[in-house]
Amino acid sequence: MAAVESTTRSPRARRPGADAWEIFRNSPTAMLGLVLILLISVLAIIGPLAYPVDPFEIIWAPMSAPGTTERALLGTDYLGRDILAGLLVGAKATLIVGLTAAALTVIIGLVIGALAGFYLGMIDEILMRVTEFFQVLPPLLFAMVLVTMLSPSLWVVAVSIGVVSWPSTARLTRSEFLRIRNLEYVTASRASGVRQGYIIWQVILPNALPPLIVSATLTIGTAILFEAGLSFLGLSDPNVMSWGLMIGSGREYLLDAWWIVTLPGVMIFLTVLGVSLVGDGLNDAFNPKLRRR
Amino acid sequence: MKRIMLAAVAATMMLSGIAVSSADGGTLVLATTQKPRHLNPAVQSGIATAVPGTQIFATPVRFDENWNPQPYLAESWAFSDDGMALTLNLRKGATFHDGHPITSKDVAFSIETIKANHPFKTMFGPVEAIDTPDDHTAVLRLSAPHPALLLALSSALGVIIPEHIYGDGQDPKAHPRNSDTVGSGPFKLAEFKPGEHIILEKNENFFLEGYPKLDRIIIKNYKDVTSMVLAMDSGEVDMLPFLAGTRDIARLRKNASIEVTDQGYAAVGPINWLAFNTKHEIFKDVRVRQAVAYAIDRDFIVNALHSGFSTAATGPIHPGSPFFAPGVESYALDLDKAAALLDEAGYPAGSDGVRFSVELDYIPAFAEQQKSVAEYLRPQLKKVGIAVELRASPDFPSWAKRVSSHEFELTMDIVFNWGDPVIGVHRTYVCSNIRQGVIWSNTQSYCNEEVDALLDAAGKEIDQAKRQALYRQAQQIIVDEVPLAFLNTLPYHTAYNKNKVGNPPLSIWGAMAPLDKVTVQ
Repeated sequence: MAAVESTTRSPRARRPGADAWEIFRNSPTAMLGLVLILLISVLAIIGPLAYPVDPFEIIWAPMSAPGTTERALLGTDYLGRDILAGLLVGAKATLIVGLTAAALTVIIGLVIGALAGFYLGMIDEILMRVTEFFQVLPPLLFAMVLVTMLSPSLWVVAVSIGVVSWPSTARLTRSEFLRIRNLEYVTASRASGVRQGYIIWQVILPNALPPLIVSATLTIGTAILFEAGLSFLGLSDPNVMSWGLMIGSGREYLLDAWWIVTLPGVMIFLTVLGVSLVGDGLNDAFNPKLRRR
Repeated sequence: MKRIMLAAVAATMMLSGIAVSSADGGTLVLATTQKPRHLNPAVQSGIATAVPGTQIFATPVRFDENWNPQPYLAESWAFSDDGMALTLNLRKGATFHDGHPITSKDVAFSIETIKANHPFKTMFGPVEAIDTPDDHTAVLRLSAPHPALLLALSSALGVIIPEHIYGDGQDPKAHPRNSDTVGSGPFKLAEFKPGEHIILEKNENFFLEGYPKLDRIIIKNYKDVTSMVLAMDSGEVDMLPFLAGTRDIARLRKNASIEVTDQGYAAVGPINWLAFNTKHEIFKDVRVRQAVAYAIDRDFIVNALHSGFSTAATGPIHPGSPFFAPGVESYALDLDKAAALLDEAGYPAGSDGVRFSVELDYIPAFAEQQKSVAEYLRPQLKKVGIAVELRASPDFPSWAKRVSSHEFELTMDIVFNWGDPVIGVHRTYVCSNIRQGVIWSNTQSYCNEEVDALLDAAGKEIDQAKRQALYRQAQQIIVDEVPLAFLNTLPYHTAYNKNKVGNPPLSIWGAMAPLDKVTVQ
């Protein structure tokens, strides 16, 4: 059995990883993205510890501009709450929503795509019709309906975004499985009587992963934007500070106090930019041929 | 000399050009975001129907800006000495828009229709019978004196509808002519495109000689407040009533050709408040409710959140009403007192400073009055150890369902006085109005027999001074027992182009009253 296992592993599994990192490291944009993501993650983790101000507490006169008071370096919002505290605490919620939604997207998409692409036939037929059903629903509207029905809370928002975003991942996974399932090493595993579950998850999946990792990374960015969009429409958890919430409830004050929405907006921009740059970098790293073309 | 004369003439001409002339004719464009379901105020309450409805339908009386009833369709009226009957003497020669004369039969039919179908049951509740001894006399017989009766017979509430159209046996609430009206007022319906506009044309045979002044009123629908305010700012529309956003008010104030006034909302009497579910384990204790009231800084709400455009509300009756009682306990901010009351009620602060946690609902629209205030209450009540979780409702119906089925702990709410306390105030406090499934009933489940007795007596007291005294007593008890923490009045304003519009509607009913005297340049 051990012998079978070692032969069924893809021959390209380990070496390309090192190559990919080499390519990634040499791309300045990818590294910029990575630095941005790391910075924001650090901010989200140690920011609230280093600057322990309750983002919901009213600490100063409402709508004080940045730099006008030492109490709130980045100014206050329409209630007099500290924008800096909001940005630091909000980073966590925003990243949690982004990561949860992306994880959910990948899990659902992967399972459905893998089963459809491996078994084909009736299973493929049914799963793809389900996927198409979700694909033709406008995602933002669908997410709004879900959040409206289940009342807006951070987890509901994250799950809703995941539930509406998985179809493209499923399609991508399926196409990768369709390509790989007929390659010789898969045929070889089948011929040696390896269990189907093992072939799906241990043989085909590792080789299908690179494009899926790229897509998952980009999904994080989309999910963060999605959360901001839902918040903008007033559908976010009012008890959890997030950048989307800051923009959603501060938008009415844009003309009087630009910083209330602009600062969290810039944070979302930087995060999504970072995630996208990393995604692009990964794409180039995993597909070096594509890049040279 | 000649030159001076010329200059004087020129000056006079210029002056008359600047001053709004009283010339007849012209079109008034009025902006709104409200979408009426139909245009018959006899069976539908609310601003959306009342603004066009009071142009299309006349009422027996109308009120001026000082709460004095004025003749309208009724030339004169008289209460019997015991206050148990009201005789209305109708104007002769008044006709509906289709030419049929307006008779006392129509008045009787209208009041019966309103009594049976309008949501405000107290308006004509005591009206037992309506006699029509001749075509121009209607006598309303009452089961008890009803001092709110004249107000109920005025603009926005007591509209006169033609019996020969609406009395054909169909359900008045769903009558097809509710959107294709035959009215009795100064303007006729020319076109009703729901969500777009309502066009009203002058009624050439209006019963008041020389009125209406305008040829046409266009009520233009806007999808959102921002675009409506922009339209007002750019001069696209002439008048914008029921403007409540403080930044919108401030913005239009800066425009030199626009006048923004808060006059015309005394009868609407809108109050923003924090309601307690008095059946809830924690809030059934009056000391807890008082503690919450003492912990709220109304100054902050009025001045910081609403830029000083709203005013603090101190009781169940709007400060613009003649029955408002000044000087009742106003719960000035006192955090120590609040903490002491909570201690006394048996809610000591825990090691983390929290005494208990509650959920706070709010109406999802109207952020400045509802969500922002709720967001303010969260850190503010935390100062006295009350942890507040906001419970967001996705839309108005879900909020209304939660509150009307009494499934809430604390909620923000906006309720209108609607002129007389009998119509808009009693409903929030009387025990008999604790009803499941009805929004803006006594959803607090507050019940005090003494208050019931006082309100009942006040609702039947003809003598104005005695009535004021009774309401004062009732307000005192209600404020002491705090079924609601009163926060602020809504800063309703009317914006109008002051170079164009003359005689803007500033009576107690504002734009929910006939615009027959309004002129445009």
